Amino acid sequence: MARTEELDSPSAYAALREGEKNAKSDYSNQMNQEQPEICQAEEARAGANQLSDRDLVADVLRKDRKATAEFVARYADHIYSYVRRRLIPRADLVEDLVQEVFLAAWENLEKFRGESALRTWLLGIARHKVEDHYRKRLRELQLAEEEESLESEPVSNHDLEEVIAERRAGELTREVLSILPETYSMVLLWRYWENRSVRDIAVQTGRTEKAIERLLARARQQFKKRWYEQQSSK
Amino acid sequence: MSNNLPSERDHRLFELLARETADPGAERAPSRLKARLLTALIQKQQESGRLRTLAETRCAGHALCVFEDLWERVAQGEAAQSFNCCSLCHARVLAEHLERPPIYWGHCPYVAFAKK
Repeated sequence: MARTEELDSPSAYAALREGEKNAKSDYSNQMNQEQPEICQAEEARAGANQLSDRDLVADVLRKDRKATAEFVARYADHIYSYVRRRLIPRADLVEDLVQEVFLAAWENLEKFRGESALRTWLLGIARHKVEDHYRKRLRELQLAEEEESLESEPVSNHDLEEVIAERRAGELTREVLSILPETYSMVLLWRYWENRSVRDIAVQTGRTEKAIERLLARARQQFKKRWYEQQSSK
Repeated sequence: MSNNLPSERDHRLFELLARETADPGAERAPSRLKARLLTALIQKQQESGRLRTLAETRCAGHALCVFEDLWERVAQGEAAQSFNCCSLCHARVLAEHLERPPIYWGHCPYVAFAKK
């Protein structure tokens, strides 16, 4: 209780935190000086260079906790960026899917042969996970729109072409993909950003190619419509 | 040409749009997420046997944090040396829940996630 009362004063709390930090730093310096000699050469060697992908993988497979932390620190940003861009309509699922990617990577890490960069290998796993998600969701979602016909009023491409040519389409594209119905965003991302053929998508979702073509046509039209709405609201 | 058939012009436009917006560069993952990833990976590693001991980790060139250092000195036996002492550490708990956890000691991976 006395300690709590003392800490009620901000200056006393700050002084205590400073003291704790100094004590930790002193302790850490002392401990580092006392490390057994046998490790010093190896520490110097390892400290000189960043671990290569192969060495990092080898250490992670040995269940070295620091190497595992390095593995996360080195690749989490890349995987997160990729998954976030591909799951634009479902931002709430991004972190869970990134975790699935890393756990699947651990399960399969022994198979990594170093023939490609570790980042490329991890992105391959991420791509599979994203496509699993698309497949599952497109199978689940009712494609009631299949029965609908396309809007008779086609939407012009002109402004969209202009923005693409000026290389300022990125932010607006993400905004539009995030507000489109999930089915439309996913099929567009799968077809164009993942560069999958209509045939592949049809096979994976258990639909006909014609149904996927019709879905894509509606998705493109809705995308353009929302694009102009968003652009004119700015 | 029926309206139900895909428009080739639209198709080419979307191919171009995808190419132009494909790689806006790496975004930084939240440090909370990185902390949770590390915890999940270490838990998974433990499911198939012991972790590398702290002494082996240090000898492989990785610096230990002050808590791991202390643990290495006081823990007796291989099982204790392989124990994931981060599971007892407040730094891990804070890092898993706060984007900028108020933890300061050196060589803690959970602290490093917030810095990078």
